[in-house]
Amino acid sequence: MKDIKRYSAVEFKATPLKNQKRGDWDVVLEYHGEGEGPWLVDLSHRTRLDLQSSDLATKKPFGITIPETPCRSVLEKGMLLNRMNRIQTSIYHLDGETIDIPEEKEYTDVTEATIFVAIFGSRVFSVCEKLSNLDFAGENKQTPFLFQGPFSHVPCQIVTLSREAEKSGVVLTCSRGYGKHMIDGILHAGEEFGLTPAGEARFTSWINNL
Amino acid sequence: MALTITCPICGKRNGYEFRYGGEEKGPRPDQKDLTPESWCDYVHMNRCVAGIQQEWWFHRDGCGSWFTIFRDTTTNLEKETPEAKE
Repeated sequence: MKDIKRYSAVEFKATPLKNQKRGDWDVVLEYHGEGEGPWLVDLSHRTRLDLQSSDLATKKPFGITIPETPCRSVLEKGMLLNRMNRIQTSIYHLDGETIDIPEEKEYTDVTEATIFVAIFGSRVFSVCEKLSNLDFAGENKQTPFLFQGPFSHVPCQIVTLSREAEKSGVVLTCSRGYGKHMIDGILHAGEEFGLTPAGEARFTSWINNL
Repeated sequence: MALTITCPICGKRNGYEFRYGGEEKGPRPDQKDLTPESWCDYVHMNRCVAGIQQEWWFHRDGCGSWFTIFRDTTTNLEKETPEAKE
């Protein structure tokens, strides 16, 4: 039997310095010349789940309580839960060891259907406002919070995790088919702010400091 | 004039994020006594109000919700209620 190899739809024109084989994925931990930020990190290998149930109030995925209000999110134990509407919650695995996907039929693994990137560092919102008219800084909202809307004209889920100066950052997911052009668009918009591709290690360091 | 629409999930957004779903025409007619003519009227005929009408919208680029709003077709502005005045 041949080994399965999974590829992210996100490709950076940067030279990897450190790689790690994780499951069927080849994960880049660090790129050459990551610079001072802001950074763009490919997290497509991280598990994403869609939880759909008419009775979300009784569900506690990974022991975490789902926010009651749509567009609110919660970050606990390396898991990000985003309440999408009355019956749906998206779940992103951001940090820690590989997770076991719950066996209940309400959970759908959407990891390979979407791309998943993080944009963080100072002036991240300046990059974002070139690509979307949504207010990701959302001064009157409590972080983390979810936006479902267009980013670079593509329907996305975007979660603002922090808006504290150097720690500012968002994670973004959209259909896999848009991957290449979405990344080109983000890097082009971020060029004037010094946006560079970075490896997963930099993301892990950022998320652990939030 | 730019149209903004208030989605019940996402809040006020640019009208280009939405797809128009037609006039609100009330519940589907009862199957009993339904004639081809009355079904055709229900499906195809519109009131085309010059003023405030209730209509369906779909948040295509956002949360995927279907919902109704009131819109003044003469000003292309969303209204809170059918009786809303300028």
